Order: sequence, then structure tokens, then C-alpha cells
Amino acid sequence: MKDPRITGRQKYVIDAAVEGMLHGRILRSVYPSARITSIDTSMVPEDVVVLTPQDVAGLHHYGCQIADQTVLPQDQVRFVGDPVLAVAAESVAAAEEALLMIDVEYEELPGVFDAVSATAPDAPLVHDRHKISENDAAYFGIRPVDGTNICHRFRLIQGDIEAGFAGADVIVEETFTTAGAAHVSMEPHAALASWDDGRLKMVTGNQTPFNLRGDLATIFGMKPEDIQVICPPMGGSFGAKTFVRIEGIAAALARKADRPVRIILDRAEEFQTLNRHPSTIRVKIGARSDGALLAKEVHCLADTGAYADCGPGVAQKMGFASPGPYRIPHVRVESNSVYTNLPPNGAYRGYGQMQSIWASERTMDLLAGKLGIDPLELRLKNLLREGDAYCTGEVMHDVAFEECLRDAAAAIGYEPGQPGLGVSVLMKGMQTPSFASIRVRAKPGGRYHIDCATVEMGQGSRKALATMAADLLGCAVGDIDIPAPDTDVSPPDTRTTSSRSTHMMGRALEVAVANLKDSDTGEGFGEIRENGGLDPDTGQGIASSHWHQGAAGARVSVDEETGAVTVEHVHAAVYAGRVVVRKQAELQNEGSMIMGYGTAMFESLDILDGAIGNPNLSDYNVPSIADLPKLTHSLIEREGGDVHGLGETALPPVPAAIGNALQSLGLTLRDLPMTPERVLAAVDEATDRTEDAA
Amino acid sequence: MKIAFELNGTPVEVETDPANMALSVLRGECGITSVRGTCGIGLCGTCTMIVDGKTTASCLMPVGALAGRRVETVDVLNEDDPVIDAFIEANAVQCGFCIPAMVLTVRKLLEDNPKPTDDEIDMALAGNICRCGCYAKIRDAVHLAAAKGNPA
Repeated sequence: MKDPRITGRQKYVIDAAVEGMLHGRILRSVYPSARITSIDTSMVPEDVVVLTPQDVAGLHHYGCQIADQTVLPQDQVRFVGDPVLAVAAESVAAAEEALLMIDVEYEELPGVFDAVSATAPDAPLVHDRHKISENDAAYFGIRPVDGTNICHRFRLIQGDIEAGFAGADVIVEETFTTAGAAHVSMEPHAALASWDDGRLKMVTGNQTPFNLRGDLATIFGMKPEDIQVICPPMGGSFGAKTFVRIEGIAAALARKADRPVRIILDRAEEFQTLNRHPSTIRVKIGARSDGALLAKEVHCLADTGAYADCGPGVAQKMGFASPGPYRIPHVRVESNSVYTNLPPNGAYRGYGQMQSIWASERTMDLLAGKLGIDPLELRLKNLLREGDAYCTGEVMHDVAFEECLRDAAAAIGYEPGQPGLGVSVLMKGMQTPSFASIRVRAKPGGRYHIDCATVEMGQGSRKALATMAADLLGCAVGDIDIPAPDTDVSPPDTRTTSSRSTHMMGRALEVAVANLKDSDTGEGFGEIRENGGLDPDTGQGIASSHWHQGAAGARVSVDEETGAVTVEHVHAAVYAGRVVVRKQAELQNEGSMIMGYGTAMFESLDILDGAIGNPNLSDYNVPSIADLPKLTHSLIEREGGDVHGLGETALPPVPAAIGNALQSLGLTLRDLPMTPERVLAAVDEATDRTEDAA
Repeated sequence: MKIAFELNGTPVEVETDPANMALSVLRGECGITSVRGTCGIGLCGTCTMIVDGKTTASCLMPVGALAGRRVETVDVLNEDDPVIDAFIEANAVQCGFCIPAMVLTVRKLLEDNPKPTDDEIDMALAGNICRCGCYAKIRDAVHLAAAKGNPA
């Protein structure tokens, strides 16, 4: 059989169906902040099952990092799109019809719609208290600030920041913003829940099967072993399908209906389910006149929306990578995860790094301009190299920032002083601490069966694992079976996020195959554990057991009459260490760059009256094949290098490289996306500057 | 009411409300899961079907409008179709959700224009979104398929 993804035979969760299944739909709040005063479901036909807040009042609070959610909100809704209740019916049409017969009355409450207002002293509070979750995903010291909308504050301190700035010849201080963005995985969120003799079976598109099982166990007060989570291949995710999304509602509906229930979201609901954090980031950097960096202070506000989800983790990673891959003696970072009355923001390809790299790498070019030093030279002078300590105190190993940066610069024909060219460099942390385990069984006929919880969402992890296994076992890739993750069968794994699977699960596989060869049971088991983590109050420790490293270069021109930017060429260089499956690795770079290009130039969730104003693919544009500039990339390998994750690395540096290319034309862009309006404003600012100078 | 049309070369008759969208009838009553809904407004291309030789968004066309017409989905193609082989050879796939509609659209493009340029490929596929971003390899696949020629 030919590749089912191409012939159309591939089944996704939207295709999952069981006998007697009902179809679930969700009624959502039309107010961003309101008290529910009454719910009238008396007009709903009797054969439609209605799940109300009262039905779930006895279930427990959940949340992967802060336990701030209930299956349905009790009394209060916190964003436009917050589920109020859910129905299950024989058909989607019948369920939708039933929703129209339900009357909900609200009393509006004040709301906050950006992280800056939400951190003002008199801001209305989205949640009264911040209870830290017991889920495995709450693995780092979470530091909520009581009585505020800040659900986590991460700090990193090295040296003496005041002394550092006092010794600087040149200081640059600027504030940058990035817009919210939608993942737009082509397959929407979908879940099929069924109960059998008190056991819950959940078939869902989800990158975090074990965290999901843990949160569902919390919600229903069950033992995790009584919940089976099965994750078929997904039609894309990019971070959208992580932790509990619609699974709690599907399970509660199925329990009340006493029948299986499947929920598939529509596109508008996708925009209300999980998005990328908008950010406001202030950077202050000081250097000696010879270009040596002395001090850097970063302050991040990451808007996590109405429920924290993994926002604390995003803010922490945004914070700890914001100093950038440079030797800086004096560093102070404060990064805050902030509640607002917008849909939740969580994991999104790049996980906070795009935002902090945008701010930090744009600042480097402003500093270079003020110092009169070429931006590439300024970076090369300060880059971290093998054996250097990062500001967390950890010693860097397998370091390739310089190779990535030089490769990106060379690819776009970088020449100091030549206008229209820009570069950027990034470091991105991998989930640390981190755990992966895998089991390999020999089967008759020279075949092998592998159980592992690595989820397939298009990134090709399972193909990479099968390729590695075939290599280790001396068989053909086709002799390896790796069924979809099933928590009843698959050994535990932290989750399929942060570009960790090939790196972590790949090494666990090496152990499992060695174990198989040593044993006479025909079975081998392997696990890999990476310890580490940071002190949440000082940011000292091991931020990442291995760092994703990359750089980008861009060549642009601008029509100063219209503000239209023509991106002529973007190149990304990613440190792969060792490539496992070349064409798939290429696809990770290509896909990341395309997403980075959308982020740079046009993708933006517009907030209108406290709601997402463009929740459809007509008003929210994603790149098509006809939108793309010339995109090239490199996968940098090194003899004896580790296998490095590369699912996200080429995204974060792209917007900053384009912004820096515009900077070389005298245009200072501080806000993403770089729309023609913003470019025109930058043209005006440059004109004013020139006139002032004259 | 009963709606009769030709689906992938076979006459079919479905009992349905003619106002239902072709997408839900193809996926439901007809069991064709290679057409998939994503945007719901005819912009992403994932639900593409070919009606009387013309690529059409099945999420926007009421099934009643299909009566008496010839409807094709990717399932009409032989697995040895050069376009399928070209996508495999070029590795032009990640999650695969959008790919069957891409394959179908490329098959149609090559019938109309056996040797398309990059610009012509981009115009033909501008209405098919691939969020994984396989575009460069999809373009390679179209050129490969063009070189292989039409199926015998």
C-alpha cells in the first residue's frame, strides 16, 4: 500500500467513530467577562443530552500548571468563547439546533485585554487565586504573584546589573511587541470519549497523552490507570493540541449520555481554543565602545489569556533564552505570565522564543548602529562558544552558534554596510528535566514491534524512530511496526513537544535495542532521563540539557511610498548535529521558515471588543504557496555531534532577520507583524530623524 | 430526497436534505474520508472535489447541486498514478491532511497544462493551504509528475 497520507487513506481523529456515538457541540460565551445569571434549557428536545455547569460542579479543578479550570466554568465566564455548556445529539445538525434553543443570561463584568493593562495596579482580576497544579507539567517552581493577574514570575540574575550599566559606554533601551497568532492546524481539535464499566477511553489528537491522562484523572477523581488515552496521527498541531482542550467536556458529556460522544471543533472555535502568546518585551543592553557586551536587562509580559495552560512554562522559556547566545557578565531577567480576558495562549511552535528573539536580536542591531560596529561583527565578538558558561551558570557543549550565523550570512551574500541585509541568531531550550522510555519486541519473521508514546502530527518522529531502529536492528524500515500511542500499552514519556522526541526517544531506543540484544526474552526496554531545571527565583541551574541553535539571514527591499516590503531571500541555518532522515529534516526547516514568514509579515489575531476579530481563514491569513519568497536553509552537521531536535528552530530567527534587514535600510520596526502601515510609520520616523539631524 | 450522481465512476444515490453540503454527505453517507473540512468557507482547499472536470469546494456546494453530475475525489486515482508517485518521491507530505486535495488539484492541473512553470503551479495551488509548509517539495512533486507524464 502506498503512503496513506498521500492516497487519502490515512485516518485521523475526525474519522474515528464507534457504534451508538453521539455528536457533541459547545455553547460558548459571547462576553469576555461576565457572571452567568441563568441558563434555560427547557426548549431542548428530550433526546438531546445537555451538560450544564451544575452537572460538573462536583468535578475537580485542573490545569497543567495552574489548576484554574473546570470542565465548564462555574458562575463566571472569562473570554469570548469560554464554554458555557455542551450538548450531545444524534447528528451534528441536531446538536447545533439544540444550541439555538438554549437561553443564557449574563451580567457583564469588567475585563482586561492586554498584558500591560492587566498588570496595572487597579486591573480587574481574571482569577482570585492561583493554585499550582499537581500535574507533571508543573515541574518547575511556579511563582504566582497573589492579588495580581500574574500567574508566574520567572527571574534570572547574574552579576550586578547596575554596575554593568554603570561601566557601559553605550546603552540602548527599547520596547517590542508581538501579536497573537493562531496555529491553524488543518485538522481541528477532535476527541471521541467513551466509558466502559467506570473506565474512560479517550481517542484524541493530543501531543501530551500522559499529561492529559493525569489531568483527566484529577478532574474525575480517578486513578490514571483507569483512563486510556489513544492518540492517532494528527492533521497538524504545532502546539495547539496539548494538555486538556476539549477532552474534559467530551468525557463528561459521554458519562452523562451513557454513550460515546465525539466532538469536532469548527474553525471559529479553533481560534478560541488555544493561540500564541502576544508579548510586550522591554530590553536594555549596555556595551563598551569596543562592542563587548556588559549588561542586559529584559522584562517580558506574556499574555496567557483567561486560563494559564502552560503559559508559566512559556514565560519561563521566553525569559531564560532572552539574554541570547552571548557572553554577558551582568544579566537581569523578569518574565511574567499574565492573565487577560482573551482565549488561552499556550504552546506554539517556538515556545516563547520567537517573541524574545524578536526583541533581543532587534536590540542587537540598534546597539550595533549606536556603536558604529557591523551587526554581524558585534554578534561574532560576543557569541557563546564551546565551554563558555551561559548566564544560568550552565556550561555550553556541542556549540554551533558561530557556524549557524556565518552560514546564514554567507547564504544571503552578507556584506558589512550593504543595505537590505540582516541576520539573527537564536538559542532555544529543550524541555528539562525530561524523560523518555520505549519498548522493542522481536516478532516472528524478522519483524519488530515498538511501543512508545511519541505522537505523530506530521513532524515525522515515528518515521525517524523507525529509521533509527532499522539501522540499530539491521532490518528494513518496513519491518518495524510502531502503533499509535496508547497509555494502556506505551511506556511513559514526558510529551511530544519542544523538539525533543528524536533526541530523547532516539537515545532511549538505542538503550532498548542494546537491552534486547542482551536479553533472551525477545524484549528490550530503554529509558533516558535528563535532569536539570532552574531555580525560579534566580534562574540559576540547567535550563536545557541540550540547546537548539540556529540563525537566519534576510534580504529585503521596501517601497517607501506604500510600505510594502519585498522579502527577496530568507535563509535559515539550523544545527542538526546529525541528520536522521534528511527529507523530513528539510521539511521541518522549510515549514518552520514559512510559519516564521507569516509571523513576520502578516499573521495577527486582532482583538475587537474583547474578542478575536478575525476568527476565520479569510480574515486571518496564513501563507499559501503563492506568498513565499525565496527560502533556503542548511542543516549543519558535525562529526560525532548529538542528534539535535529541529522541529522549531528555523521559525524564531526569521522575523528578527527580516526586521534587521529593514533596520539596515534605516527603518526601525518594533512590532510584529511588519505590516505596510507599520513600515510606513517607520519610514516617517526615519524621515523625522533625518530632518531633526539637518 | 434522493440525489443521484456519479461518484468516482460509479452511480450513487443518497437520501439526504439537498441543502446539506456535499462535504458532509461525501464524508458521511458516501464514506469518502479523503475530503476534509478545515475552513468551512471554501478557502483552504482541503475539501476539494472535481465536479464535471472543475475543482470545487465541497464545503460550499449543497449536495442537491450535484444531481446528475460527475464527482471525483482523490480516490478515483489509481495508486500508481504518477502524481501520487511524485508526491512520494519528493517526500511532499507531513501530516497529510491537505495532501489528497493537493494531489487531486495537481492531477487536474497537469491534464490542463502538462508542463506548468513554477508560477503556474503557484497559481493552481494558491487555494490549497498546507500549514505544515510542504510547498517547496509539493512544487518539486508537480515537476516530477509532469516529467512522468499522464497515466496510461
